[in-house]
Amino acid sequence: MAETPRRAAVPGEFTALAQDDRFRLLRTRFRRLACTLVASFLGWYFLYIALSAFARDFMARPAFGHINMALLLGVLQFVSTFLLAWRYTRYARRMLDPLSAQLRDEAGRRQAEREHIERVMAERRRIENWTRG
Amino acid sequence: MHSDGRFLTFGLFVVFILITLGITLWARANTRDADDFYAGGRAFSGPQNGLALAGDYMSAASFLGIAGIIALSGYDGFLYSIGFLVAWLLTLLLVELMRNAGRFTMADVLSYRARRQPRVRTAAAVSTVTVSVFYLLAQMVGAGALVSLLLGIHPGETFLGLSAGSAKVLTIIVVGMMMVFYVTYGGMKGTTWVQIIKAVLLMAGTTVLTVLVLGRFGFNLSDMLGAAAEASGRSADFLQPGLKYGREIEGDPLRTLINKLDFISLAVALVLGTAGLPHIVSRFFTVPDARAARTSVNWAIGLVGLFYLMTLALGFGATAVVGQEAITAQDPAGNTAALQLAHTLGEFAGGPLGGDILLAFIGAVAFATILAVVSGLVLASSTSLAHDYFGHVLMLGRPRESQEVAVARFAAFLVGALAVVLAVVARNLNVAFLVALAFAMAASANLPAIVLSLFWRRFNSTGVVAGIYGGLLGSLLLMAFSPVVSGKIDPATGASLSLLPAGVDFHVFPLENPGLVSIPFGFLCAVAGTLLSREKADQERYDELSVRALTGTGSHRAAHRRPPRRK
Repeated sequence: MAETPRRAAVPGEFTALAQDDRFRLLRTRFRRLACTLVASFLGWYFLYIALSAFARDFMARPAFGHINMALLLGVLQFVSTFLLAWRYTRYARRMLDPLSAQLRDEAGRRQAEREHIERVMAERRRIENWTRG
Repeated sequence: MHSDGRFLTFGLFVVFILITLGITLWARANTRDADDFYAGGRAFSGPQNGLALAGDYMSAASFLGIAGIIALSGYDGFLYSIGFLVAWLLTLLLVELMRNAGRFTMADVLSYRARRQPRVRTAAAVSTVTVSVFYLLAQMVGAGALVSLLLGIHPGETFLGLSAGSAKVLTIIVVGMMMVFYVTYGGMKGTTWVQIIKAVLLMAGTTVLTVLVLGRFGFNLSDMLGAAAEASGRSADFLQPGLKYGREIEGDPLRTLINKLDFISLAVALVLGTAGLPHIVSRFFTVPDARAARTSVNWAIGLVGLFYLMTLALGFGATAVVGQEAITAQDPAGNTAALQLAHTLGEFAGGPLGGDILLAFIGAVAFATILAVVSGLVLASSTSLAHDYFGHVLMLGRPRESQEVAVARFAAFLVGALAVVLAVVARNLNVAFLVALAFAMAASANLPAIVLSLFWRRFNSTGVVAGIYGGLLGSLLLMAFSPVVSGKIDPATGASLSLLPAGVDFHVFPLENPGLVSIPFGFLCAVAGTLLSREKADQERYDELSVRALTGTGSHRAAHRRPPRRK
């Protein structure tokens, strides 16, 4: 099967990439984004759950008509989920995708070069063998 | 229900089955290799996969179950809807990394940097199959009860020569045969199209019901809620949390606290479980690249969000329009609320015939929902058994691709047969708690392993294995000694509300959902396993995993079909 090789084609290639400043920037940005997203949605969700469990009087307060705070906050959970997903995607498109595309293309080019050299070398060996034989 | 309506319902079932059979046969003809079978050739677009994700996720338990809980217990049912949706933000964070780093299964990501591949693969396969089978069991037992209700077979009556009891067994067997057929023949391609059709049908059905029910109240949500509160006889309490979950019992502060902790435990399991559900994870790999995977999760968030918002209208609408007495007369658990709502709204719009037509349509949607979800689950477990256990443990990663796919087809048959047998045995038990349990297990066993594999440099194979088995066993044991299995008794009637009959009581853990304890325990086991073992993490592989996950370098792309090479 076309299984991924157990080791990188060239030892240390990925380690070198992992040391690359652009990759470090990408990783820092992603981690900061992930922490912000998790902290905001889990914090807000658990605040809402805690209010539902322990602040019943507050949740029962009418907001408008028959709609009380519990329903209002519940629907706001939906709104915040949509907003956070949109913000995450926008940030990823602007700040992460260009960096990762650049790194990926460079790695792809290096890979193609290596394969080209290997092909040329193989061809040369073949010709040498043929002329000798 | 009129018998004409029954035949209409039955006819629509048959139409749905025929259409999906056709698709499955088409998919069979277009499935050539493992990429096709496990990942649909990685050729689905973001929006298509988003529809399929939503289709895999919105089970009959949430369509009929949540509508029923809202109709009977008011606001508390809506808490499920919120947890089920918010959970997708965590999935959005992980989807690109997993798509880039993995090939077909969660284990591909977990074993990437693990020194002891076979142990990690085995643990991941055990967890995948356990979570899926529990979830599957809940869906199939539900399907048996549902179809006899849909066809309106009451105890003592017969339809096409079937009594209610034999219809239940027959339904479970037919559903089992269908899901095995979809998976063995259609693979991921066929199943994905079944999910897409189902998602479109479900969204259409709920939208029609929502528009009709809101229309009865002049499109004024507040008026509908007021009418529901009044019809429930519990006035404003019906619109507030606390009727079902986290109930306050006067004069018993300990019991009150336990009820509230139980509610929080459920909320934690719902929000952390989704990203570890195997049938959701295996769907990350059906798109060409990470960007399409992100798009598909965004689509799923939109669809799932809209759907769960509409459960508000379905549930409260059913209370206001149908009334709780009529609902509990059909099904004490309230699972028929959405169907009865469809019947009543149809009658308002087009007389008795209109009622029958709308009921038949919504009934067929519910049936499609069950079939689609169970086949997604069977596919996920057979993929893991074949790719992880057979391919990487038994054959040490050297099987021929065709062998592995053949094993996957056989595994689908085994898992399907197991689920049918279990569901027939458990057909009269109350197994609705299994859905929440499956979420708790996914969050306790799979989530720690996934998150730590991606983000913790020191994490090693001992940690993965300890985390998976610890989380899995922890949640299973806590459940076995919880009130859902034994010792919960209805104070009014003395009847058992647990799995086992009244009189048997060995519960020692007070919460019904284990999540609050078992999820931290799963993380703890993963960390402790790593720190206590002398195995050193493979630094180079971790760098490789990080680079691949974040940049997509060397990720598995859609196969470009090349013409056969000339000699």
